Amino acid sequence: MSFWFLHGLEKGIRTTRYPRRPDSTPGITPGRPVTTTFLSVEQALEAAANCPVGAISAVGKQAVVALPTCVHCERCRFGLPNPLEWENTYEWAQVPAGKPEPGEALPSAFARSVHIIVVDAGDCGACLREVRQLNNPFYNIHRLGAFFTATPRTADVLLVVGPVTENMRGALLKTYDAMPDPKKVMAVGSCAITGGVFGQTFASAGGVGAVLPVDLEVPGNPPPPLAILHGLLVLTGRRNPLPHQPFSVI
Amino acid sequence: MSAAVQIAVLLVFAFCAAGALCGIAIPEKRIPALLAWAGSLASGAALYAAGSVLTFGVDVRRQLWTISGLGEVTMSLDRLAALFLLLAAVVVLASSVFSAAYLKRYLGHYSLRAFNAWYLLLIASIVWILVDDDILGFLLAWEGMSITSYLLVNFEHRRRGVSRAGYLMLAMGEAGFIAVAVVLLYLSTATGAPGFSAMRGSTATLGTLARWAVFLISFLGFGVKAGLTPVNSWLPRAHPAAPANVSAILSGVILNLGIYGIVRVDFDVLPLSAIGMGIIVLLVGTASALVGILYATTESDLKALLAHSSIENMGIVVVGLGAGAVFASYGLTVFAGMAFLAAFYHLINHSLYKSLLFLGAGAVDEHAGTRDLDRLGGLIHVMPYTAAVFLAGSLSISGLPPFNGYVSEWLTLQTLLRSAEIPSTAVRVVFALCGAALALTAALAVTCFVKAFAIGFLGKSREPRAATGRDAHGLEIVPMALLAFACLLLGLLPTYVIPSLGTILQPTVPPGASSALVPPFFSSSPGHLQLPAAFVADFHNLGAQTGQRFLPGPGLVLLHRGGATNPVVFATAPFYACIAIAAFLLCAWLLVRVGTRRLKAARREVWAGGIPRLFPQMVYTATGFSNPVRVIFQAVFRPVTIEDTRQTVAVHFRTAIRRRRQDIYLADSLVFDPLGHAVMWLAGKCAAMHHGRLNAYVAYSLGFLVVVLVLFRIS
Amino acid sequence: MVTVPAATRRLDAVALTAVLQDKYPGAASVTPRAEGADLLIALRDIPALPSLARFLFLEAGGSFAGIIVEEWPRDWSLRYVFLLRNIGWVHVNVRTPLENTTLPSIVTGVHAADWYEREAEDLFGLNFEGHPRLGDFILHNETWQENIAPMRKRFSATQQEFKRLPDESWTPTLVVQDPGAFAMPVGPVYEGGLEESIHFLLETVGEDVVRAVPRLFYKYRAVEKMAEGRSIGDVLLLAERFAAISAFAHSLTFCQAVETVAGVELPPRAAALCELERLRHHAGAIEGICQSTALSVSEAHAAIIEEQLLRASGAFTGHRYLFGLNTPGGLRRDFEDASCRALLNSVDKAVADLNTLEQRLRFSSSFLDRLEDVGVVSPESARDLDLVGPVGRASGRRLDLRRTCPYAHYSRYVFEVPTEAEGDGYARLRVLFAEARASAGLIHQAIESLPTGEISNDLGRARFGEALAWVEAPLGGAVQWLRLDSSLNIERWRILTPSFRNWIGFHVAVEDFAFQDFPIILATFGLSAAECDR
Repeated sequence: MSFWFLHGLEKGIRTTRYPRRPDSTPGITPGRPVTTTFLSVEQALEAAANCPVGAISAVGKQAVVALPTCVHCERCRFGLPNPLEWENTYEWAQVPAGKPEPGEALPSAFARSVHIIVVDAGDCGACLREVRQLNNPFYNIHRLGAFFTATPRTADVLLVVGPVTENMRGALLKTYDAMPDPKKVMAVGSCAITGGVFGQTFASAGGVGAVLPVDLEVPGNPPPPLAILHGLLVLTGRRNPLPHQPFSVI
Repeated sequence: MSAAVQIAVLLVFAFCAAGALCGIAIPEKRIPALLAWAGSLASGAALYAAGSVLTFGVDVRRQLWTISGLGEVTMSLDRLAALFLLLAAVVVLASSVFSAAYLKRYLGHYSLRAFNAWYLLLIASIVWILVDDDILGFLLAWEGMSITSYLLVNFEHRRRGVSRAGYLMLAMGEAGFIAVAVVLLYLSTATGAPGFSAMRGSTATLGTLARWAVFLISFLGFGVKAGLTPVNSWLPRAHPAAPANVSAILSGVILNLGIYGIVRVDFDVLPLSAIGMGIIVLLVGTASALVGILYATTESDLKALLAHSSIENMGIVVVGLGAGAVFASYGLTVFAGMAFLAAFYHLINHSLYKSLLFLGAGAVDEHAGTRDLDRLGGLIHVMPYTAAVFLAGSLSISGLPPFNGYVSEWLTLQTLLRSAEIPSTAVRVVFALCGAALALTAALAVTCFVKAFAIGFLGKSREPRAATGRDAHGLEIVPMALLAFACLLLGLLPTYVIPSLGTILQPTVPPGASSALVPPFFSSSPGHLQLPAAFVADFHNLGAQTGQRFLPGPGLVLLHRGGATNPVVFATAPFYACIAIAAFLLCAWLLVRVGTRRLKAARREVWAGGIPRLFPQMVYTATGFSNPVRVIFQAVFRPVTIEDTRQTVAVHFRTAIRRRRQDIYLADSLVFDPLGHAVMWLAGKCAAMHHGRLNAYVAYSLGFLVVVLVLFRIS
Repeated sequence: MVTVPAATRRLDAVALTAVLQDKYPGAASVTPRAEGADLLIALRDIPALPSLARFLFLEAGGSFAGIIVEEWPRDWSLRYVFLLRNIGWVHVNVRTPLENTTLPSIVTGVHAADWYEREAEDLFGLNFEGHPRLGDFILHNETWQENIAPMRKRFSATQQEFKRLPDESWTPTLVVQDPGAFAMPVGPVYEGGLEESIHFLLETVGEDVVRAVPRLFYKYRAVEKMAEGRSIGDVLLLAERFAAISAFAHSLTFCQAVETVAGVELPPRAAALCELERLRHHAGAIEGICQSTALSVSEAHAAIIEEQLLRASGAFTGHRYLFGLNTPGGLRRDFEDASCRALLNSVDKAVADLNTLEQRLRFSSSFLDRLEDVGVVSPESARDLDLVGPVGRASGRRLDLRRTCPYAHYSRYVFEVPTEAEGDGYARLRVLFAEARASAGLIHQAIESLPTGEISNDLGRARFGEALAWVEAPLGGAVQWLRLDSSLNIERWRILTPSFRNWIGFHVAVEDFAFQDFPIILATFGLSAAECDR
């Protein structure tokens, strides 16, 4: 006799209230640094020099953060005598450079029924795992009408993680080709936007933008599931995206 | 009238002889055309003869000449033989026209003159078997047919396995012939009549033992030619070995001759009297059907697949005959008639679609150079017409409407369901089991032909030769298309065929059977007023009168009403169904066209997970498709591993893996191998007598003499 | 088939030295504690390499960790790393002039060295004579032209100007030659892309998979190449982020390597976080197994446990995947008691949930049917291919670096290394559950027994030099080799990951099982392509 049905009921309802209400459970997001005004220019310069990927620039006494470049190394949070300010948000989806703000969302028919195909183009595994968490009882994208499909033929959104390695370039292009119109491309994670810590080398293209036209970027390393969820809501027109944040200020 | 028929029959022989003789004189490259002309003219004459007899319903009989000491040579064409002659003529016509283009591949490799001669002689002997009345001529023609068909099967004698196959066919054919000859000679002497028609009336004197012996030996003897289990081991080897046009004749005509022999002896001359006989026929038919289709489903050589499928179809025909015999033994003549109708309908259908499929297989072989389904694929792109007619044949043989296979399978299964009227429970159980087995064979037949068509014609080409080139020659496609059209007609208009069959088969088929199946719904047909009014009203509400203004005849609905104990109605109307389906498809197509006018369809390549491209090695093969069946029915197949090599540097680095398994024919392993071993054992024991000592030999002679004298004294 | 005799000799360093002088007189010089090894064998007679490797692997019962190739100005240095129980790390160092790129292959004796030699061939252009299958490994033939050898010094990581000529005539090498055999392609985009990008070619004749070859390195990001010439801080980022599910373990290995070069002792707080990562990884692996068998409720339960551990990790350290914690010398931050208690509560709850799940799964016969006797890796195969981690332990390979060569104060803790013998999917599942429990116990011990003190030590006078460091990552033993140059930038960084070692043996588990079992066997292995591809 299988009691799995009852075991399932035991756990109750765990689903987050987002997007109806914001969720502030500890641990659902790593948060991210915000532009901070320091007491002196030296502190700002120290913060800028400390960032290994150059996401922080010192403008006077302000340390300005270029969010798509940040790789969540947390050195500006724990490794500095004067750490940057940190916000515990997760709504990070932004419009890529050169696109109108806000970009064109999918037609309204997709608002409650959007199908997603994921392509792992060299991802370290963290972004992919966060995407997979979207199916667990805490986030459960099915209630929002979003589904992961097995084939690009029935997909509306192409979600790419990873900096697009050379070996995966062909497969990524074929996947994009196999999708019918209308289709949107979502680059998830700092690797997919700028190449992340890998950058542009002989083995990695340095982001999805070098290979495909990107419609939405979700920065973070990795972006938490709620950030990816927010990105999906933006693509289906139920939320507005953040305006484009440049890779660096200078 | 009968004069015209007699002249037509004689013309058949004339054309055959003329063709064979001319073949000696004219240059080799003209022989395909000569053969086509001679064969077509001969089959045309045969068509005329058979058609006249069937249409006018008059038997034709004529004594030709008398051979002193042996009796008279009589030509007789009754309606039963006319049906078989008509089928033979159609198949031979198609095959002859096909040969005009097909035989060109043998120019320079084998002797076409010889082929021409054997082919026309085969036609002549087939016709003679059917029109001959006396036993001696029948046996001579039977032998002639056996030998010429052996010569034709052995035509490509330099190919591997062909000689063996031909030899096996000849040997088993001769064994069957011996049985047939024994039976016919016995009947002839027991009844004192030299011919079939004379024998018919004088069989009352034969006792039960004699009847059983005649039945068993004739059933077995003719069963060899008809391809019934367990004496059909030659069939799956011989039919593929022959050239395609010969295979079509082998499957479409010669198998029918085996059935003709069974019907002639066991249903016409000496009808089956015991219920047990009918049950035996029923069981043999079911076993043939099941075993045939099982092997067909797991076979990947296209022509061997078709050969096994022929065994299955002959099994179904024999099931119909057996059911009819059982019904007749219980006095249920209407059901017996239905069963015989089903059997003969299936026979006609099989001749048509099997010859179509064999000709198609020949065209495929010619184009791609291989018959192995594992290496074919993607032929539809290069051979669209051949693919279309092959599809029609596949749909027919799978028993799908609106083609003819559907009607005969429906009739057979319906008849088996009527076994509810039989009083004996044991017999009902047997019928139920046979019905279940037939349903299984129908399902496996669909699997088998989905495999044959889909893997052979669809997908990607696995053989480079198959990917390019042209379709088959027009002279090859036209006969196939005509056969496909005939299949379609017989599927759409069964209500015209069944009454004709009914009249054809009297007195074998009692009256009432065909009218039981085709009730006269059209108000213009006679007998319309004899139907119960409420019944007619019900069916008129369903549209059973549609088309009565355009079409003659009783109606378009095949129907069977249960008896008082089982008042259900089984009905099917393929014509209406076909029209409804066509209308639905048309509406759907129109909707799609109109609805998506503004949308563009984009063509992209096949999605394969992102790999650079798909390779032919990645497409499903026939072996893979049929593997589940092979695994489930392993007890039947008993696969034996022939070869299992794994080249390795170490286990981890295997560079090649090759496992070959071969299935063992059940009949061979259960019947013939033990028999063979027994014979060899006996021969070994007898060989002990040959020890070379003269004294012992003299003693043998003396002993034998003493035994003979004693016997002579006693008797 | 190579029969592997039971390792009858547990040699110590002295005995091994004596045996080697005996077997290879004058061919090798044996030095203890040199160049980052516990025993360094400098082999001068190169043709003796295969037999020496075979001796160390089979007869001395060693485990083969990998090949480290370094390009010096005038010669090649190849370092074959073995782990022998009573000695520790044994390096066999072979040097050959730069022009001579042909070396004897050791695969006939050490099957586990298969992929290491192929990797060296692809990345360095070396040729290993006697290897049956070189080529088309990391640099896929349809994307890269021949003879690029990107790891050579003359090749710059950022160069873009060399032409990539796709090879349109790439055909997969098919091994099965049965008539009617065909090959079913899976991936690199399969399961809707929620699985990592790997390509499998399943050769079959219908029902059973006769031969399955995984084709990896779709995610090759040339991390080792990128590290050359970069500072320690930059390469620490790379070490964390090339394989995120064992990010802490790999970054810990890197930091340990740097610390070994600098001669600094590691403070003891790392073990708790290492075990936290292991616990979370195993919860994820169990979720993967439940998902592959389509037992949805158990998949949801395991997913709940994993998400709760991710949230606990995020609340405790600030990052869900434990990024940004390690720094050479120790940890970047300290933890308060309250958050330690909160973490312990979450861990206890997670383990209690895992125990309940295990009990329920044990009595689900339909679930067990899919795992028992499916995907069997025999102990002989596991030994032959030197499998590590939970996969190896499920087939009887009792190798755990926390026990064999303790690091980060693991010698102080009491814990169990669970081992099973059947080697089927269910054995691997049981090992995962048992290791999760052991990890929870270790977290308790590590946190509760923390001595007060520095969270990180100063690196002090850092020197240049080389070092080998190792950590038992969630998927098995991970080893890194580091060489720092005089300005403390990385000169050579070599990563030997457990996934790379275990993928070699994956095909053994899949062959001769049905198609439908393939995704389940894949899930029970739980290997990471990112970790393998680097």
